[in-house]
Amino acid sequence: MAENTQPDYDKPGDEGEERIKVICLGDSAVGKSKLVERFLMDGYKPQQLSTFALTLFTHTTEVDGKKVTVDFWDTAGQERFNSMHPSYYHQAQACILVFDCTRKITYKNLPEWLKDLRTYRPEIPCLCAANKIDEDMSMTQKTFAFAKKHSMPFYFVSAADGTNVVKLFRDSIRAALAYKHNSTDFMDEIMKELENFELDPKYNSKLNQDGTQRNGKDSPDEEDVDREAKDDKNNTTDTGQS
Amino acid sequence: MADTLQLLKCGVRFEPPTLVLSYKDWKSGKLRRRSMPLRNFNKNTGIDRIIEDLNSNPRHSRFIRLLSSAQLQRLLTIVKDKLSGLSLEASIARNNAMDTINPEENLNRVDPETLQRKKLIMDTSFEQKRKKPGDPDFQYNVEVDFETAVVETSGWDSEESDMDF
Repeated sequence: MAENTQPDYDKPGDEGEERIKVICLGDSAVGKSKLVERFLMDGYKPQQLSTFALTLFTHTTEVDGKKVTVDFWDTAGQERFNSMHPSYYHQAQACILVFDCTRKITYKNLPEWLKDLRTYRPEIPCLCAANKIDEDMSMTQKTFAFAKKHSMPFYFVSAADGTNVVKLFRDSIRAALAYKHNSTDFMDEIMKELENFELDPKYNSKLNQDGTQRNGKDSPDEEDVDREAKDDKNNTTDTGQS
Repeated sequence: MADTLQLLKCGVRFEPPTLVLSYKDWKSGKLRRRSMPLRNFNKNTGIDRIIEDLNSNPRHSRFIRLLSSAQLQRLLTIVKDKLSGLSLEASIARNNAMDTINPEENLNRVDPETLQRKKLIMDTSFEQKRKKPGDPDFQYNVEVDFETAVVETSGWDSEESDMDF
């Protein structure tokens, strides 16, 4: 019954368009809702799913000429329980992990959020955002090791003046689509922008994760998957061997 | 019509519960004081309801608008604390704590009232810095590349040997 209120993100929407789900994570009062509202702009009325204590922002856009319906999920205070209901993570294809760069504790709690996320979604792309840079611009001159350590793209953002908000959300949509289409290309591209990045080995095995989605067979040579092999997998129908 | 009122001071009276504002009316150049009785306010009254009543009162709403939400919430909480038997000193100390942002405090663990108050303080600052559609320097997509400017570490990573970091 409760599950019925959630769209199925593996199926196309009413008009045959692609549907994706992007979730926001992070401490109370880091500005998650304000960031989504800034991306979608004023006057947008989100849908409250009180059963789950969450807020759903639906956004329709075009990516490479194709219509995409994106649901941004926001916690609506559920983070006060220090962990989210599993349905929050269900079928999510990307995550935006936010901290408040004026409050150190929110940065220190990132590992907890990441752990929670990886329990349910081991491989989805995760983007890290330092919000409220307008409060203290000197923070943008500083380095934060967490994102790089976990091979996440990192953004300095401000929901108040809009800095990098649109970029963050557009990147999250592309990352979600790339994940859904079983390609790591887009994340690779973002990673290349990071200085001295070291690609987390986990990203290379993305192809075979989450058996419910595609051919589902755990390949024994998963760790040998290279770019060519990925392309093969995407372009052929030969899923027989395991 | 442009509002010609400027808030100078705000406060409360306890007997009977009353919200008091001092303001200057620039149209007449006069200093004035407005008292707004807080009717049916007892220790069990929700502050949100009182705020709703004040905002929907045609005689008061113009003056209520002069206050920030954080200020209004604070004043009404002090009245409510008094009605609940708390001393003024204790109430002010409690309210000061709720209105202070401590960068080390985990807001996932505070009670809903404290969280709401801290969010109101942050919102006040957010609204001051906010660029809205219609503002002369508003742009929907603002992209700034900070990558090349990095000069020092935040110091937020180095203090403890945190396994997860």
